[in-house]
Amino acid sequence: MMSRRLAIEILAFVVALAVWQALSMAHIWPEVLFPSPLQVIATFRDDLASGVLLVNLGVSLKSLMLGFVVGCAFAVPLGYLMGLNSTSRDFFDPLVNLLQAIPGLAWIPFAILWFGLGQGAVTFIIVMSVFFPVLHNLLTGIRMVQPVLVEAVRTLGANRADVIRHVIFPATLPNLMTGIRLGIAFGFRALVGGEMIASTDGLGYAIFNAQQYFQSARIVVGMLTIGIVWLAMDRLILRPIEQRTTMRWGLVREGLEQA
Amino acid sequence: MTDLLVARNVSKTYFDTGEKSNVKALDDICLSIRPHEFVSVIGPSGCGKSTFLRLVAGLDRPTSGEIRVSDRKVTGPGADRGMVFQEYALLPWKTTAANIEFGPRLKKMPRPEREKLTRRFVELVGLAGFEDKYPHQLSGGMRQRVAVARVLANNPTVLLMDEPFAAVDAMTRQHLQEELAAIASHERTTVLFVTHAIDEAVFLSDRVVAFSGRPGRIVADRRIDLPRPRRWDALVNDPAFAAHRDELTRCIHGKA
Repeated sequence: MMSRRLAIEILAFVVALAVWQALSMAHIWPEVLFPSPLQVIATFRDDLASGVLLVNLGVSLKSLMLGFVVGCAFAVPLGYLMGLNSTSRDFFDPLVNLLQAIPGLAWIPFAILWFGLGQGAVTFIIVMSVFFPVLHNLLTGIRMVQPVLVEAVRTLGANRADVIRHVIFPATLPNLMTGIRLGIAFGFRALVGGEMIASTDGLGYAIFNAQQYFQSARIVVGMLTIGIVWLAMDRLILRPIEQRTTMRWGLVREGLEQA
Repeated sequence: MTDLLVARNVSKTYFDTGEKSNVKALDDICLSIRPHEFVSVIGPSGCGKSTFLRLVAGLDRPTSGEIRVSDRKVTGPGADRGMVFQEYALLPWKTTAANIEFGPRLKKMPRPEREKLTRRFVELVGLAGFEDKYPHQLSGGMRQRVAVARVLANNPTVLLMDEPFAAVDAMTRQHLQEELAAIASHERTTVLFVTHAIDEAVFLSDRVVAFSGRPGRIVADRRIDLPRPRRWDALVNDPAFAAHRDELTRCIHGKA
């Protein structure tokens, strides 16, 4: 069954590529407005050979990883603090709610003022974008821990630290993984937007810069690279990890059965 | 013989957030349980029998009165009062063996000893071969066996059970009841068992305590002198069993 699904998924790319090629061969628009697949592939090969593409990709991924790690380093401890202590939840909740409504990209002006143009500013924007989905999903996970699990281990002699270690942490792991996956997705979008405005290198900057020189094929190369890298990251790393934590413990079905 | 568990004038009033008023769940409960006794608490739903069990477990506090176990006042949950819940409450991320050895691990029991203990209780509840399965891979009846083994392996002073067999099918339930009766008399476990099923209470217990409807008060306290081991095929037509069941039914419905 999986191979049939894979075939359909590949077919989708083939169809999209064919439609694109057909449209460009019809010469409805000039090439500078609508580059053809062949042109894009040629540019892709050039940029790969010259190393420009990989250097930009490396810069972008480095900002993404750094921003992600810093964002999680704040969101995860704060999430457990808010989830396990009602005073700190009541204290932080309104602040978090207010800040949550502000998109990461809205921080661009301050990011530039504080960090100057470059990776520092971009990383800061990513931190602001990763933080909230991670925090939000973690809080949901802590809220969903079944009280009876906590009560059961308490009657087995568990103290509060034992409850956190043996119940709260493992129970919230699936939600934390969902938060991390969403966080990286949000961070990825913010990365490209941030680099266009607040940086002088990276994939986003490359796309933006190509537009200045009417190199429309290069714009598409940048866009597709982003899409392909995200797809690979999500399919090969993030989703498998998320699914492994939830499915091995049968948490999804378990939750429905016991509701 | 001194009493193992003593409840003295225990009352519990709680604030019902739905009805926005105080509800008296338990009224002046006095109850003593001796070592190795199997005592069931029965009563109509809402009579506070589960509330009483939670007070003994230390998961809630009484409004007045006190509960003592081994002559120590109950102020919170503890390993001496392990509880089996209707919804199993196994840790989904731990295997059968890891769930069972949870309590002993907290107590830092050395590993060889712990493994021996786990093996003994896995076999006691008939789960040999399922040590490495996760709870979602087990049937309801098997999960509840794990939950019973998990508490017993922790060697509690009293085993608390809150309608543990209510969620399994009727046939499995009778098996589990026979197994529990056998295990409790073999291990000489003191059990406080809450159920709304009168025949279950009579089948399992040395003593059945009946609560009235809300607020819960004790309306009957009967010794069940049926011989052990107890089996359903023998008891189902036993006039003594029927007499106990019918008398307790009248007690509950007369005062409800």
